[in-house]
Amino acid sequence: MAEVILKNLTKQWGDFVAVDGQSLEVSDKEFLVLLGPSGCGKTTTMRMIAGLEEPTEGEIWIGDRMVNDDLPKDRDVAMVFQNYGLYPHMTIFDNIAYPLRVRGTPSSEIEPRVRKAAEQVELTQFLDRRPKALSGGQRQRVALARAIVRTPKVFLMDEPLSNLDAKLRVTMRAELKHLSRELKVTTVYVTHDQIEAMTLADRVAVMKDGVIQQLGSPDEIYNDPANLFVAGFIGSPAMNLINGSIQGGQFVTTGGTQLVPVGGDDRKEVVLGVRADDIRVSEAGQGNIDVPIYAFENTGEATLLTVQWGRQRVIAKGDRYLRKEQDDMIGIALNPEHLYLFDPSTGSRIRT
Amino acid sequence: MRDNTLKYLLVLPAIVVVFATAIWPLIESLRLSFTVGRLSRPGSLEQYLGFENYIWAFLYEPAFWNSVWVTTIYTVLTVGLTTVLALGLALLLAPGGRFRSGVQTLLILPFAMSPALIGVSFRFMFNPEFGLFDAVFGVLIPPLADVSWLVDPVLAFAVCVMADVWGWIPFLTLVLIGGLASVPQDTIEAAQVDGASGWRVFRDVTLPQLAPVLAVVIILKSIFSLKTFDQIFMLTNGGPGTATQTLSHYIYFNGMKYGQIGYAASVAWLMVIPMIFLTYAYAKFVFRKE
Repeated sequence: MAEVILKNLTKQWGDFVAVDGQSLEVSDKEFLVLLGPSGCGKTTTMRMIAGLEEPTEGEIWIGDRMVNDDLPKDRDVAMVFQNYGLYPHMTIFDNIAYPLRVRGTPSSEIEPRVRKAAEQVELTQFLDRRPKALSGGQRQRVALARAIVRTPKVFLMDEPLSNLDAKLRVTMRAELKHLSRELKVTTVYVTHDQIEAMTLADRVAVMKDGVIQQLGSPDEIYNDPANLFVAGFIGSPAMNLINGSIQGGQFVTTGGTQLVPVGGDDRKEVVLGVRADDIRVSEAGQGNIDVPIYAFENTGEATLLTVQWGRQRVIAKGDRYLRKEQDDMIGIALNPEHLYLFDPSTGSRIRT
Repeated sequence: MRDNTLKYLLVLPAIVVVFATAIWPLIESLRLSFTVGRLSRPGSLEQYLGFENYIWAFLYEPAFWNSVWVTTIYTVLTVGLTTVLALGLALLLAPGGRFRSGVQTLLILPFAMSPALIGVSFRFMFNPEFGLFDAVFGVLIPPLADVSWLVDPVLAFAVCVMADVWGWIPFLTLVLIGGLASVPQDTIEAAQVDGASGWRVFRDVTLPQLAPVLAVVIILKSIFSLKTFDQIFMLTNGGPGTATQTLSHYIYFNGMKYGQIGYAASVAWLMVIPMIFLTYAYAKFVFRKE
């Protein structure tokens, strides 16, 4: 059990900066998710923690020890790989037992511990098989069992669910969450899937271009995004970003069409962010403004209405029983409690 | 002309070529192995003796057993040394290894040389008067300063092994680099994180996954070592005495120099036996099912 501390961690390959002076503190027993698009440096950060990649600059601390010069084997971490990294020539039992064997665990202890880990991931009936005979989901469980068979200081998980099909991913996500709350081990989890990040994390670090954009609880990054990137990256459908200006405390779109009270000083250029769920859909004439429907989508659990608002398109979430046709006029109203203003040139949040 | 006839007509040239260059010589050599078969004695090529030639080799020819022994030791040594050294080099040169780039290109050079040429050049290198290796070894290991490499039976044998290992390492290294590249990187990284030392990662994870390629390398090299001829012919010509006389050299000598074609053919057929086993094993590994 230990915290992980990164101090000004940088990784460069030639001119390419993968991770740029990152500092991060993961507290003991915390589940921290590194979230970001591919190439943002999240996996590199994790691999540096594991010792599979050498930092160009900066320090990595696990517990009260600086581990920069330690080999992976000496860092006492367990890692789950995206492609599982199972040993194809060993049985599932031997795969799970491997971390115990190389660490010289007495053989009398190995058997019960492997069985226990296999039970935790519901794999007991496959112990004699080889990885090849298992499905993707089962292989994922083996990788997980191999990580939890001993109690490392830190779990590192590199997109562990990304190779599973959509349905299995949801099931495994819940199992992973259950397991992580049960084991209570410091965990760093890398993903590009914001739902995984939202559901699993105690805290999420949203990364872009090797820099953490925002670090906070899932609630914070969803409800209080620090900048345009975080606002646009988190949430599905993505947050609506509308270009416009502030005139006399009102937001006016670039087309000059509509006004929503937002407060604050006058500004020539701002971006207004509003989530689809924060747009109330009503019959024409009953909202702030009437707009035509560009596309109407029924997802079963809700309806998504893409509307043409001046020159821009905006997505609103409607009631699941709402039925409209393309080109129908509807009224929409923005929830003034949940509007976000951003500076389009810097991307940073304008707080009023 | 019917399609059926045409079909056979089209493959006929190939069949004729294979028959003339492979099948017929094989059958003819098998036939000769049962004859007196002396080039100096007209008619002896049709004079049948049954298994006498084979029995003669087994019971009355110490030179035959000597060449079997030489070939065995030579094969074991060259296969062992080449494989181990090539594996070591491959580990250093593989992606993620310590050395790379231009070295790989340079590596192929020794393999590009014909075995006969290697034989000649090694003979020069170990010449007691102007040989480079002779001089270098003399400086590095003073007790070896005054030895005549190719005159001493053991040392001559060592030179033969050295030349062969030198010539074969590059090719096998390249094959093994390819093999190493196909070992999934994440299994190696998983083992590192699981707590394995460099040696254990190699032993537990890399080597087992490399085993099929390694098996092919070992079998292939064994086949080539067993039938080594040209290099030895140029380097020591089987000498001093018969200290480096391999089976193929022994066959050549009996057939071509002494004109005992029948006897040479029977020994050649004896050599076929281990070859068949190795070829079978090779085919099994190369065409193995997943």
